[in-house]
Formats: sequence, structure tokens, C-alpha cells
Amino acid sequence: MTDRRRNLFILLLVAGLLLASGWVIATKDTKLGLDLRGGVELVYEAKPTPQQPVVDAEALDRSIDVMRERVDRLGVAEPEIQRSGEKQISVGLPDVANADEAVDQVGQVAQLYFYDWEPNVIGENGRPSPNDVEVTRGGEGGQAGVSGGHPLYDALQIALKRPVVKDGNNSHEGLWYAIDEKDKKVLAGPQEQRKDVADDLEDKQKPRRGEPAELTAEQAGRAKIVEVKEGTTLVRCEEPDREGDEDRPKEDCWFVLADNVALRGTEIKEPEQTYDDGPGGSGQPVVSFKFSDDGRKTWERVTKEIAERGSRNFVPGSDVPTASHHFAIVLDDELISVPYIDFQENPNGIDAANGSQIQGGFTLDSAQELANLLKTGALPVKLELISQSQVSATLGEQALDEGLLAGAAGFGIVALFLLVFYRILGVIAVLALTVYSAYFFALVKLIPITLTLPGIAGTILTIGVAADANIVIFERVKEEIRAGRSVMAGLAAGYKKGLTAIIDANVVTIMVAFILFVLATAGVKGFAFTLGVGTLVSLFTAVLFTQAIVGTLGRSKLLSSPSALGAGKPRKPITFDFMGWSKWFFSMSGVILLVCAIALAGKGIDFGIDFESGTRIRTALEQKVDENRVREVLAGVELDGGRSLADAEIQAIQDPGIGPNAFQVSTEKLAPDEVTVVEDALDNEIGIRGSPNTQSIGPTFGQTVAESAIVAIIASLLVISVYLALRFEWKYAVPVLIALAHDLLITTGVYALVGREVTTSTVAALLTILGFSLYDTIIVFDRIRENVPRMPRATYSQIVNRSMSEVIVRSLATTFTAGLPVLALMLFGGETLRDFAFALLVGTVSGTYSSVFIASQVLTHWKEREPLWRRRRALIAGEHGGVVPAYATGGAAATVEPEEPRRPRRALTAPDDPQRGVSREEFDEMVRDLHADPPPARTAVKEPPAPAPAPREPERAPDADPSELYMKGDGGTDGKKRPPRKPRNRKHGRPR
Amino acid sequence: MGALAWLMMAIAIWHFTVFLPDRFWSGIVGAFLFSILGALAFGFAIHGLHVPGQDDTSLVTALEAVPGTALGLAVCWVLGVRSEAGEHRSDAFGRAA
Repeated sequence: MTDRRRNLFILLLVAGLLLASGWVIATKDTKLGLDLRGGVELVYEAKPTPQQPVVDAEALDRSIDVMRERVDRLGVAEPEIQRSGEKQISVGLPDVANADEAVDQVGQVAQLYFYDWEPNVIGENGRPSPNDVEVTRGGEGGQAGVSGGHPLYDALQIALKRPVVKDGNNSHEGLWYAIDEKDKKVLAGPQEQRKDVADDLEDKQKPRRGEPAELTAEQAGRAKIVEVKEGTTLVRCEEPDREGDEDRPKEDCWFVLADNVALRGTEIKEPEQTYDDGPGGSGQPVVSFKFSDDGRKTWERVTKEIAERGSRNFVPGSDVPTASHHFAIVLDDELISVPYIDFQENPNGIDAANGSQIQGGFTLDSAQELANLLKTGALPVKLELISQSQVSATLGEQALDEGLLAGAAGFGIVALFLLVFYRILGVIAVLALTVYSAYFFALVKLIPITLTLPGIAGTILTIGVAADANIVIFERVKEEIRAGRSVMAGLAAGYKKGLTAIIDANVVTIMVAFILFVLATAGVKGFAFTLGVGTLVSLFTAVLFTQAIVGTLGRSKLLSSPSALGAGKPRKPITFDFMGWSKWFFSMSGVILLVCAIALAGKGIDFGIDFESGTRIRTALEQKVDENRVREVLAGVELDGGRSLADAEIQAIQDPGIGPNAFQVSTEKLAPDEVTVVEDALDNEIGIRGSPNTQSIGPTFGQTVAESAIVAIIASLLVISVYLALRFEWKYAVPVLIALAHDLLITTGVYALVGREVTTSTVAALLTILGFSLYDTIIVFDRIRENVPRMPRATYSQIVNRSMSEVIVRSLATTFTAGLPVLALMLFGGETLRDFAFALLVGTVSGTYSSVFIASQVLTHWKEREPLWRRRRALIAGEHGGVVPAYATGGAAATVEPEEPRRPRRALTAPDDPQRGVSREEFDEMVRDLHADPPPARTAVKEPPAPAPAPREPERAPDADPSELYMKGDGGTDGKKRPPRKPRNRKHGRPR
Repeated sequence: MGALAWLMMAIAIWHFTVFLPDRFWSGIVGAFLFSILGALAFGFAIHGLHVPGQDDTSLVTALEAVPGTALGLAVCWVLGVRSEAGEHRSDAFGRAA
């Protein structure tokens, strides 16, 4: 295919895709994440159960199916339920304002068990006493408040007396607790593993959000870890009717049961909420259900046994309910109901043909909730809520507006920069950026990619990446034109030579994005995906599309003048001694790191609640009050276990998205119902404007984020090292890693220094810095790699100096274009994006600095220890009175053009222009074949400061052995004389 | 957090090795590795194989990295000097250095 046809094909393809993108953008909706549209996000961590001892992918998928069904029953449109990492499930519920209900419904395990009550209730002696009312509490069943159940610590003491009973009827294996025998308190548990209790104890010793730790080291030190052996279980008392008093904390009331399950939830079917409206019914909401065939038989047998015992227990004169025995319905270790079996009405047990019903002081909502839970079945794994956040729709809308504004500003600034610096080429680049933006937006809608705040940040950054690719090429084009090539030849050479660096840099970015996507947690995933897709699309638009335009316009007047491309005046060569000054740059980095290390150690890092665990409520208040008034209101709130909010951190905040009189309350992690209690208290006393934004993070969430980030960093470094070793040389990979460590540590240190809060967004930004820093370093290393064979008589430091002088403008420009969108994020991106942008800005500046002043210097120091480079250095120093000049001079400045790999000969094709006879590409190829490549390809050129004429050089750069250059005739490195080689015919491989 | 402070301090000090003659084993990269290893090993040793957490990290923790780093760099230097001496001995016997 001729160049013209190829260009035409690409332009048509771009136009076609642009039309398709327009159609997609016009017809498809954008899927917005919860942070942009408002809603509830819940993150659960799966824990094993006796039925599912190992949390595997299949168990998580089954759980997701159950959860999806539950969410559907909640009536939530477009829920997002997905696996996140190895053991986490993230549930996004857009437009849901009530987190409590969502939490109750979605993540509850819903393990339902029926127990024969009297024979299984354990007394204080550790044994059951079916006929002892003091133990079974007779007609009161297991009701809290009236039953006289035991506090948890006492119940645990009873349970500890029990032996192991393994009869196949157990609901779980042994359970572990940590107790304080001195204060008679249960400190942690229950957990299925001893290790998990120990972990709980450790977590409780950490202070959260400035509040003292739940446990002191002394308390934790005297903690005793105990096991309730298999065959015994603890159940919380049945809560009395909570209608109108849902916020009341649950009572510390427990029963110890022999874990001898009579019937399981899996043996019931068709549960639904109905009313107890039969003869003599109370009219209260109940849950009715039917049994499976096996369940029916079991139910009839068990109820018959209970009825017979009641009948035997009956003393004439007493009433039936007092004499009757009971069965217990237990849902997730809480008694739902302990009804009796009327032995007079059902002497042979209850006929299960028509099913049965559960009564238990239900409200309409709680009965519906239970019916729904039973309908969807139990989750195969236990789910622990580790993070819960609620974003109001208003705040989401504002975040979206800010994100879009930051995007538009980023695009505008980058476009302006390109136009000023590259003129006509800048116009082409801006056109490419516009096409890129259209494609990207269409892909976001088509795939669809859920657009989140970090995702928008990723998108804005890809604008910078897309512009970077153009800058790399355009700087190369300008360089070639200034070196004496025609505009057309300069354009061709610029694209050809720039492409290698672009591909290397973008491949590394895509690899980092891929690793982040695979290994990182949900929030980072969205960012990584947009970054990866954006980089791929930008490769197409920034390289292929602009090349096609340039190729098409190449012969027009527009591109005929070098000044139209910004390459009019020859640039004054940069002669700064980068290597000579390296000691001072190193020292500067050393001082910065020293300050950072001292700040880190002295001030520490302000980890946000993402890592420290806790609850944060941000809300606008109706009345204008101060922090003291809010504290006063919160001090009156009583939480579970007698806890209070007296020590909560209260801050007045300015956030237009939340509204006027906005406050932020940070405290230890609160349960969803406790968050509601706090919100209600504020609403009743001061008045809440709109819906509050809440975030509750458990201790394991931050740990998971940090662990996944560390794994992602290590994996990225390994993959990048292998790639660099393959594409460059293994020694090039080490300075890159050192530069990366430099950038990550400086960014972390600056966070410590300025006391900014570290969130999961910061982690995402740190990981992004990896990509940026690499991008820049690869651009520099690519030029060093290119110059090494071109300067066969220069020292390594001279080669690096020259490479740096050639790429410094390009490097600064690419950093500038990457930095501009980041700056736009800082200025217009709102609170969340601003945090993200701050880390990126520090990382980008540090990344550029380390590529130019750290990585290259380390590489030079290291390479110059190799015998080859040591010999060259000694030789040059010998020639210059013991000093190696910063830039190669005289013979050492000579450059040779390495021979290009020969391409297979092709048949002549139809010319682009009939008057020309052959296509441009074919003409160039013929010129090369005739060894008549025009200067400067084969002519030695002088280094700008060097006046001496260049000596004749061999055709191929013999970088592998410089002694061949300097010791010709004296023999090789072994000192032996060799006959001169006969020149060989390049075409046929025979002597000429 | 303590380990991060040690690491940062070690790398900060390493930056100043460019003022010394390059006689470290494996050059500047060897010095980099030995400074980090030295700081971490010393830190672990004085804390009984325990890394100070966020609350236990103070200015002193960062300073604890200094002797470890210096020790690591000294070892790297000695190894480098011995390696160079070995190379010279090889030359004296006429073998390739």
C-alpha cells in the first residue's frame, strides 16, 4: 500500500470511528459511580463458615448471586455488586439514602436454625435441665428483659464448662473468644479461628481517629483466649417489639444452647410476610412458610416430641402455656421467637402440610425483611462489613461538575501549550486530542466504564499522556529539521525515531495500569482501567492519526516552512554539564529526603479513616452553631455497650457541596444503626439540612488497601524491570528502580511534612507516580541507548551529557503537559480530586527531577565501572591532561549513523504521484540501497563546541569493543596481529 | 512506619556517597543496597527484631538509621577495596584483571 493510500485509509477510519463515537455519545447514557450520583457503597469481607470452610471464588460468586437477589428485592435500580480482591465484595447501591436498611438486607448471612428449646438450654452447671424453669425460663421463652438470660461473660463461663459434642447436628465448629477475667468482660470474639481473635485484640489496641484505643496494652495483656467447643452455641435473647424504638441498643442477654439443630433454614420454602389473622390471631405481621419434604417430616417429628413433653409436664389446674414446651427460631445467633407447642391442640405435633409461621414481635418492615432474607436463602459465607459510605446526590452532582470542569480546564491548558510551542503541528495535535477525547468518551459509554472521581482523574491524566506522545515526536521532528533535514524528511525521521520511545513509555504505562487493575482494590481499579484504555486510544490518535494528517499535508504550503513547525531558528545547543553537577543534585535530593525522613519520624503520617478505621459524618446543619453545641448534642447520645461520643472529633468545614454550616464528625467506627442514632440526635436538636454523607471503615479495609497497593507496587516493579532488561539492558533497570524509590519516598515524605491526610486516593496517586516517573526516565534512557552506538569514541558521561542536552526540552515539555492537567485537578477538582492531584503534582515534579538528575547519574556511575567504559575514560582523560571534558570533543565527538536493519526488498508499486514515478518510501529505499543516503546519515558530524574535523569512522558503531577503534593495527585486546579484513559485498556476501 | 523512616534516612545518606571515591563494591548501586540493608539490620537489631509502629516512631527512630547506614556503607567500601586489590593481584600474575 502506498503512503498516500495508507494515510487516506487511516483518515477515513478515524472519520468513521468519530461518527460512530458521536452516535454512541448521543445515544448512550454515562454510567456514573456512587461518588458522582449519590448512594450507598458497602464493602464486605468474606469469612469462612462451617458449611464453607474455605472462601473461594465459587463461594464469592454464589454470595454475589444471593446478594443481587436481595438488592433486587430492595428495589434498587442498577446496583453494582462485584468481587474486589480475593475475599471482598463491593456493593454499590445508587440513589439509596438509607444505609441501615441496605446493610441489614444485603450482607446478612441469614442462617436460620430451629432448636428444640427445653432439652438444649444449658444451666449454670453446664448441663441442660428441661424441666427446671429457672434454666429454661418457661413461658417467657428467651425474651430479653423478662427472661433473665445471662450477660455475655457469664454465658461464656457456662459454655466453657461444656465438652465437645460432634453429632452432625451442629451449626458451627468451636468458637474463640478473648476474655478479661479480672474485669469480667468479653474483649473479642466470637471467631472461628484463634488467630482471628488475637488479630481483633491487636486491632482494639490501636487508637482510632484521635480517640483512645478500645483496649489498653494492660487489658490486652491479661486477655485470655478461650474456646467454646463444638456442640455448644451462644444465642442473644429475643428482642421485644421494637416498633418506634428501633434505635434502642440491644440488651446484653444471652442463652447457652446445646448446638443440636432440629431443622435448618434450607428445609423451608416459600417464606412470605403475612398477618396472624386466623382464629384468635393477633393480627400482627408474621412470616409464614412451607417445608420441603424432608423438612415436613422433621418438623412433625420434633413438634410431636415437644407436645408429648408438654403433655407429661401438665399438672391439672395449671394453664397450658405454662406447661407447654417450646421450640426456638434462631437467625444468625439471635433468637427470633421461642413459641410453645400447644399439646392439647397438636398432640401429634404440627401438621406441616400447610406450612407454619414465625411470630416474634415483628413490625411490618422487619417481617418483610425476614421473609425476603429467607426467600433468597443464606449466604454461603459470613460477610463482615468493613467499609460503608453514603454520598448524597447533591455532593455527587457537585463532584461531577468539578471533575468535568477540571477535565475541560486540563484540555484547554494542554491545547494552548501545544499551539504556542508547535504551531501548525500543535493544531494537528489539538485535533488529535479532540478526536481522542471523543473516542474515549464514547468508549466510556459503550463498554460501559463506571465513571468515578478517580476515573475522571485518570481520564484527565490521559489527556496529558496523549499530548506527551505528540511532544516526543514533535521535538524529534524539530531536532531533525534543525539538523539540516528537509521538512518532509524531518517529519518522517521524527515519527520513526520518536515511535520507539513512545512505545516503550506507553507499554510501561499500560503494564502499570493492568497490574493496578488486577491487584488493586475497587477504587483504584476504576482509575487503572481508564488510564489503560486512555493510553491505548492515545497511541492510536497521537501517533497514527497525526502521522496520517502530516503525511497528507506534507507537500502543502502549510508545512513547507520549518518555522511553521516551530523549528525556524536553530536552537542554541545546551552545554550544561549534567554529569559534573550531579553531585550537587544528588546532595539536594539527599537533603530533601533527610527533611522528609525527619518529618515522617517526628510528625508521622496522617492516615485517614480509610486506614485507621472509623466513622465520618459530614452534614450541613439548619441552625448556625459552633463546635461546642454539636459536641454537647453528641455527648448526650448513648451507643451500644454504654459508649458515648464525648471524644468525637468535631470540625466546622467549608464544602459548598454539603451546604452552609457544615460539620464533620469523626469518631471510632459506628454500626449503621448507631450512625442513624447520631444523625437523628443532630436532626432533632439542631436540624440536618439535606442528607448527610457518611463513611464507616473497618480496620481490615485499610489493611487490605495497603496490602494490595504493596503487592501492586512490587508486581509493577518486577514486570517493569523485566521489560526494561529486555528492551534496554538489565543495568538500565536498576537506576529506574532507584529513581522510583526516590519519587515514592519524597511524595510520602512531603505528605508527612505538610500533614495532609493519606487516603486510598493517595495510594492510587502513588501508584500512578510509578508510571509517570518511568515514562520520563524511559524517554531519557531511550536517547542514551540511541547515542551509545552513535558515539563510539566518547565516554559514557559524555554520551549521557549529550543525550540529556538533546532531550531536556522534550522531557520538560512532557512533564509540563502531564503537570498541567494535574494542576487543573488541583484548582478545579474539588476536595477529593485535590487530594489526589497533590500527590500527583509532587510525584510528577519529583519524577522529572529523578529521571534527569538521579537515574541517568546512577546509570553513568555504574556503567563507567565496566572495563570498556573505564578504558575509554582513561583514554580521553589522557588526551585532555587528565580531565574528561563534559562534552565529547575532537575525534570523540564523531558520530556515526548505525546501520539500519535491511528490510526485505519489495516490488515497485504504483506511485503516489504519477509524475514522480515511484513512491517516496520506495525512493528512499532505493537511495539507501545505492549507499547514497544524504548527509548527515553517513557523514561524521561535529559536536557543536568541537572545532576539530571528524575522522573517518568505520561503518558500524563498534561499541562492543572500543579497542578495535583505537588499537587497530596493534592487535585486539589479546595483542595478536591479525590480517586486515577484506571488505565484503553487502548485497551478496562475497568479497568485492 | 519505623522501617519506612529507616529506609528514607538510609537513602538520604546514600545520596552523599557521590562525594566519596567510587570504591564501593558494585559501585553506587552496591552502596545503595548496603546502606538500606545496614539501616534495616541495625534498626531491627536494636529493636529486638520488632519494627516500631506509627505511634512508636519518633525522631530518634530516624536517627537510629544513621549508624546502620554508615556501617553498611563501610562494609560495602571494604568489600570494594578488597575486590580491587584482588584485581591488581591478578594483574601481577599476568592474568586478565
